[in-house]
Amino acid sequence: MKIVGVAACTVGIAHTYIAQEKLESAAKKAGHEISMETQGTIGTENELTAEQIEEADIVILATDVKLNNRERFDGKRMIEVATDVAVKSPNKLVKKAEEVLAQKQ
Amino acid sequence: MNDNSLFQIYFDCGLDTKEQMYAFLSEAGCSNGTSRQKTDITRQLFEREQAGIPLIAEHVLLPHVESEHVEESRIVFLRPAKPVLWGETSEDIRLIIAILLRKNEEEAVKQKIARFTRSLADHTFVEELVTTANEADFHQKIRTFQEES
Repeated sequence: MKIVGVAACTVGIAHTYIAQEKLESAAKKAGHEISMETQGTIGTENELTAEQIEEADIVILATDVKLNNRERFDGKRMIEVATDVAVKSPNKLVKKAEEVLAQKQ
Repeated sequence: MNDNSLFQIYFDCGLDTKEQMYAFLSEAGCSNGTSRQKTDITRQLFEREQAGIPLIAEHVLLPHVESEHVEESRIVFLRPAKPVLWGETSEDIRLIIAILLRKNEEEAVKQKIARFTRSLADHTFVEELVTTANEADFHQKIRTFQEES
């Protein structure tokens, strides 16, 4: 499965980066490809390309704030959660992504 | 490490409640400020909690604020002498890692903080910070992180 996602929290210095790292680690452990963009106090890092989004099977948005360029994901299968869900339960979130994908196939 | 360092460590500190912790952090971030400025930082810390308790691992909290009243950006570690019961959560808190970010902080400092924050995704590292019984060892772990990053 190919996953793309965005992490963004309110201050943009804490949960954003932990959520990114934990989701990347959980997805890779489960054998998936993942690219996580962060929108934090530093600005946007690891910005997703149109190609990455196009090729993704599912989008995970772990955010507490309004995202920039959210319309990029229109029409994609998507899971939206608060950042603390990605921080506390990254493996469950990846499992949920697998389930969503399985249901819609 | 507690003078000019980005990292400030208070080991075995005698703080027993959330209110005491937040007051201590406000003082750490704004030692030369007015009581109103300190109160403002405390208010921000409480407000952030309304969006959700910033628990990042078992027994570990990561409160954080960005404020124009913060004099120098800091990552403050509070290891209470006794676990602290934290309001609505039944968990006893054994480590508080607070990020006090100065408003309009320079990019390089933000990058350093973000690098450290990313390291908190490592369960083993966080577990070591929670369980390290010796203050010198705790300092060493943070020093090692600084050298490796």
